[in-house]
Amino acid sequence: MANQPLLKFASIIMALSLVLTACGGNNSNNGNAGAGNSPDNTGTATDAPKEVNFTIAYATGDPSTKKAIEATIDAFTAKNPNIKITNYSETTSAAYLDWLKTKDAVGQFPDLVEMRDTKVFADAGKIVELPEDLRSLFKTLPEYNGKIYNAPISGGTPQGIIYSKKAYADAGITELPKTYDEFLAIQEKLAATGISPIVVGGKDIFHMGFWTNFFIMNEVYSKDPDWNSKRTAKTASFTDAGMVQAMTDYKDLFSKYVDKGWLSTADNQTASILVSGKAAQLFSGPWMFGQIAEADPNFEFGFYAIPNREGKTVVLGLPGLAGWSLSAEAAKDADKVEAMKAFIKFFFDPEQYAPYLATVNGLPSTAIEVSYETGEQMKEVLRLINDETVIKSLAINNWYGENAIPPQFRNWFYKLLQELVLKNGDVTDYMKQADTEYDSNVKANLQQ
Amino acid sequence: MIAKSKKKKWTNYAIWFILPAFIVYTAFVIVPTLSSVYLSFTAWNGVSEKIPYIGLDNFVEIFKSPRVHNALKNTLILAVSLVLLENIVALGLAILVDQVRWFRNLFRSIFYFPVLMSGIIMGFIWMIILNYNFGVLNQLLEMTGLGFLKTDWLGNPDFALISIILSTVWKAAGYYMVIYLAGLQGIPQELNEAASIDGANRLQQFRHITFPLLAGATTVCVMLSMIGSLKVFDQIAVMTDGGPGFATETLTYIIYKVGFGELRQGFGTALALVLFILTLVISLVQIKVLRKREVQM
Repeated sequence: MANQPLLKFASIIMALSLVLTACGGNNSNNGNAGAGNSPDNTGTATDAPKEVNFTIAYATGDPSTKKAIEATIDAFTAKNPNIKITNYSETTSAAYLDWLKTKDAVGQFPDLVEMRDTKVFADAGKIVELPEDLRSLFKTLPEYNGKIYNAPISGGTPQGIIYSKKAYADAGITELPKTYDEFLAIQEKLAATGISPIVVGGKDIFHMGFWTNFFIMNEVYSKDPDWNSKRTAKTASFTDAGMVQAMTDYKDLFSKYVDKGWLSTADNQTASILVSGKAAQLFSGPWMFGQIAEADPNFEFGFYAIPNREGKTVVLGLPGLAGWSLSAEAAKDADKVEAMKAFIKFFFDPEQYAPYLATVNGLPSTAIEVSYETGEQMKEVLRLINDETVIKSLAINNWYGENAIPPQFRNWFYKLLQELVLKNGDVTDYMKQADTEYDSNVKANLQQ
Repeated sequence: MIAKSKKKKWTNYAIWFILPAFIVYTAFVIVPTLSSVYLSFTAWNGVSEKIPYIGLDNFVEIFKSPRVHNALKNTLILAVSLVLLENIVALGLAILVDQVRWFRNLFRSIFYFPVLMSGIIMGFIWMIILNYNFGVLNQLLEMTGLGFLKTDWLGNPDFALISIILSTVWKAAGYYMVIYLAGLQGIPQELNEAASIDGANRLQQFRHITFPLLAGATTVCVMLSMIGSLKVFDQIAVMTDGGPGFATETLTYIIYKVGFGELRQGFGTALALVLFILTLVISLVQIKVLRKREVQM
């Protein structure tokens, strides 16, 4: 009987220790987050700058972008030793939204975040409006519901054909195409030499958007930029003549001229396939120039935008709802806001921004002119963006406001188009499926 | 009386030991499970603070959606193929390593090694092997004059699911091999010797002695492989991302894609609930059938 209280005590201690051990791991895992909320501002030196810590995240799919942003963060923290930046970035572009949602779910939504799904996170109240004093830094700031949420990291970047000069010379191609039919004639010449005319990184679903948007912009958006809002209102259909023409062209191109392994080729393998001489062309954007040069510094390549049947050029180039955004949680802390504003100003300072743009082959989004050294291909990109006769548009999922599509529709649609090609399907039948899915997505989203 | 009282007191102490695990289990399993049931009746997007209740709409959509039907079909194909192949291969390997005289432990380790690898790493390895342009398999085919057999193993809808099935068998068979091996080693050698004296050949011995006496191991392996095959996700996410098109989308895959990538957490949770019920029903039927077989044998 004398041992009973002791036994009881021991039991309680062991039970508590088990619970505390289970919870203990949490402390080390949340070390970073905790540090952010406890800046060392109790020091005695009143004139010393206040210690501030904020977290940052961006999509790291493209190695050159990752490297360039890391360099900017290092330069900023070296210049501002009182500001510590915890870099959360660790994912690819393809899974960025999933990753960001997971971070949010575990209470680690980044303080400063590269926002690619502004509508979703603004609606959920996770991000706040861009501070007034940063807005003058930029040429154009797209609005969502009359509010500005993003500091655009770069301007809209046109996509086009990146071609092997050797493959063109071997096929006897001496002139770049002036119409889409001439472009197809070039594909025939390339195919006749035994080379795969076009490499596509179809394993990554976002890559499927490159060609899809090329055709949709040419046949649909260039003629009616409000087509998406009409589709949502059911006054336009995927079975409309323009959309069917776009998808018929897509299907024909993929059936005849695309490398056989396109569905198991990842986006980051396309540069290797191009420089290896297995394929002659890649349809992508200027961020690939660096990767291609890195894969083979001696590889000679050119860049051009594909004209449409009437000889007009339509490229991606309008600003979208994307860029650096401040989280609502971080915005409650005035010190953090000041630190993040300082970082954004530093990031877009020409001294930092120019090397960043040069590394990623990006276009400036700032109001102030930024000059940096560019190669032959980048000069063509800049010409396209500055040429007023070139029509600028947006990708299907980058329209905003009334023209925003249901976010879940994009990937489904790209997969449907893969199936259309693989099963040699009837374009109109597949577009009817697209209509059904689109309406179902709109209905589902109205419930949210 | 004293013994009964002591037992009661000891039971009271035992509660203190169970309590921590119970609290953790409740917090991390029971509460999320119950909240999942609630979320399946909502249109929550996974980010917003708003969680709108929509009744049975998600379940109605599940039963109408061609994409879900396709995923269910793929899940069942995968489940049946994996259960059959994993068990046949595992049993074959177990018999092999049970009878081999030399390097017995080395062979066991080699066959078991893939089990230790993470599904993601395994997926990457197979993705590299099966790649159309750079893959070892296509290069081997070309080198051996069989270039005409070259195909896009993961990009061709006719082969993508088969490639996932074979790579999953490669990874999982070693695990079931160990269970079968334990079963084989528990069979008294005298039975086979007696049968041999009576004139039974190897195949007859296997059919009438070994296989029936492996009924317990078979029950465990079939049930585990069925549950495992209904949950296959890593390989699909890495090797095909559900493609080409929708060719390798399974229920687990679209639960993730819809819930996270497409911002429909409510619908994804409803799908997860359907998968849970499906797994439960299949497992219960399996247990009943296999237990009955064990008793009969």
